[in-house]
Amino acid sequence: MPTPSPARVHEFEVVLNEPIADGVYALVLHAPALAAALKPGQFVNIAVPGNAMSLLRIPLSYASADADAGTVEIWYAVVGEGTERLSQMKPGDTSDLLGPGGHGWTVPEDCQRALLVAGGIGVPPVLCLARELAARGVAFDVCLGAASGSCMVGVEDFEALGAGEVRVCTDDGSAGYHGFCTDPAAELLASGSYGYVVTCGPEPMMAKVANASAEAGVYCEASLERMMSCGFGACSTCAVETTSGMKGACMCGPVFDAKEVVW
Amino acid sequence: MGKVSMDVDFAGIHLKNPINTAAGTFGQGWQFSNFIDVSRLGAITTKGCAAEPWPGNPKPRMAEVPGGMMNSVGLQNPGVRAFAEESGPYLADLTDKGTAVICQVAGHSVEEYVAALELFDELCPWAAAFEINVSCPNIACGGAAMGSTPEGAAEVMRACRPVTKKPLLVKMAPVRLPEIARALEAEGADGLTVINSIPGMAIDVRTRRSKISRPTGGLSGPLLHPIAVRMVWEVCQAVDIPVCGVGGVMTGEDAAEFILAGATSVAVGMASFVDPAASVRILEELEAWAESQGVKSITELIGAFEC
Repeated sequence: MPTPSPARVHEFEVVLNEPIADGVYALVLHAPALAAALKPGQFVNIAVPGNAMSLLRIPLSYASADADAGTVEIWYAVVGEGTERLSQMKPGDTSDLLGPGGHGWTVPEDCQRALLVAGGIGVPPVLCLARELAARGVAFDVCLGAASGSCMVGVEDFEALGAGEVRVCTDDGSAGYHGFCTDPAAELLASGSYGYVVTCGPEPMMAKVANASAEAGVYCEASLERMMSCGFGACSTCAVETTSGMKGACMCGPVFDAKEVVW
Repeated sequence: MGKVSMDVDFAGIHLKNPINTAAGTFGQGWQFSNFIDVSRLGAITTKGCAAEPWPGNPKPRMAEVPGGMMNSVGLQNPGVRAFAEESGPYLADLTDKGTAVICQVAGHSVEEYVAALELFDELCPWAAAFEINVSCPNIACGGAAMGSTPEGAAEVMRACRPVTKKPLLVKMAPVRLPEIARALEAEGADGLTVINSIPGMAIDVRTRRSKISRPTGGLSGPLLHPIAVRMVWEVCQAVDIPVCGVGGVMTGEDAAEFILAGATSVAVGMASFVDPAASVRILEELEAWAESQGVKSITELIGAFEC
């Protein structure tokens, strides 16, 4: 039989749930078995209590997992009723989630230096990978984009992990370079020193990064987002169009080889 | 527990209990194998499959709505050959463990339904029955376009009937149910699955666009459960062939309502997305209810609604 999703049901308790930037929250969950199982780029699908009319879970990537402490940290943007409800959860509140979902990043064995390009709330799965790259001794540079400096997250975290360069970009020019992070990404790619590019953020941004990587001949992976009902391969709602047909983001992704994605 | 017989005969198939799964909400069964013992279920119905692969609809394919969801998957499927190759060994094993496997058949035309059914009959010898989906709301031709009139539904059934000796079920659209049910019974349908999702719309008022990739989609979930119960009751009064009730079953009580309205089996749908163990929980709750009713067999409760 084909391989089912690695996801299981995990009960969790909220340890912390606080804003870290404009409209962005950090949620720390205590879920030891999950914390030990998650791999960078995977996701969880959270049952958020508080609205009997809302039944489906909320799929979210994660920013870090601490197997020793048994905790998982998730950064999320409040964008609708569901994430608004999630932001109301208090330390000590409990619920359950399904995870780990899908498969994450695949760092090429011979990669010496990676380029990480993240926009908006696409930062968490990329930060998660940066931690793994640092642990493996793979050098990396980062291009971060946000609408404004006030909603930018992760800059200090990437720096603390030993990033070579962190290029900050904002749409409104309130922090760093005034423009999209695809511009410095293209500039850095042209230096020719990368063996791996990863990207997560708005699809037009990821498409640009994917194209620039393909032109530079560098392997690129992108983490995609879709509306999904189940998160474990049963509902066929989270389809991503690829060069070899429709593939579910929950089982074949959320991380895809960027040149397989039809942008 | 365990004192009430949960066995039912459904369309010529013996089911060890009435709980089935709605096509398109349970994958091919194996997706749930890490969450539950799938072989505890009376039956599973696999996602609709056509003779050739279908890509399905563009994104977004799903939008949550209060009390349910809207989908526009459009019957994405790998074709019967790939389905049988990938999932056949698992489903054959499930059959050996006493869970009936019902395979749903998709098509855009009478010829396509027949072609798919021929392949199913040849390549899926373990299948207990086939369910013809003449009610998908998310494809441009075939599906609900054919199953929404007695003539259209009967035409599909007439063409499919000689293709297989196995029981044929029909997944019905939520329109003109009694008359279409009678037409299908007359053409030799062995059972009816009532109902498929109800066409709905969800508009993003900021962008003025549909929240899914097509203007309309299939509404499902507990918000439509009372409508589905009413439709099952109407169909059960119109025909003698057995009915599988589908629509927003979240609890054993919801399943019991379908049984009382006349359904012989009950399929769990959206609940499995929310809680992958829902089908087994609902089975246990249904069994507890049957026991509380003081019957020896759940069959005594089929159609036992009193008005």
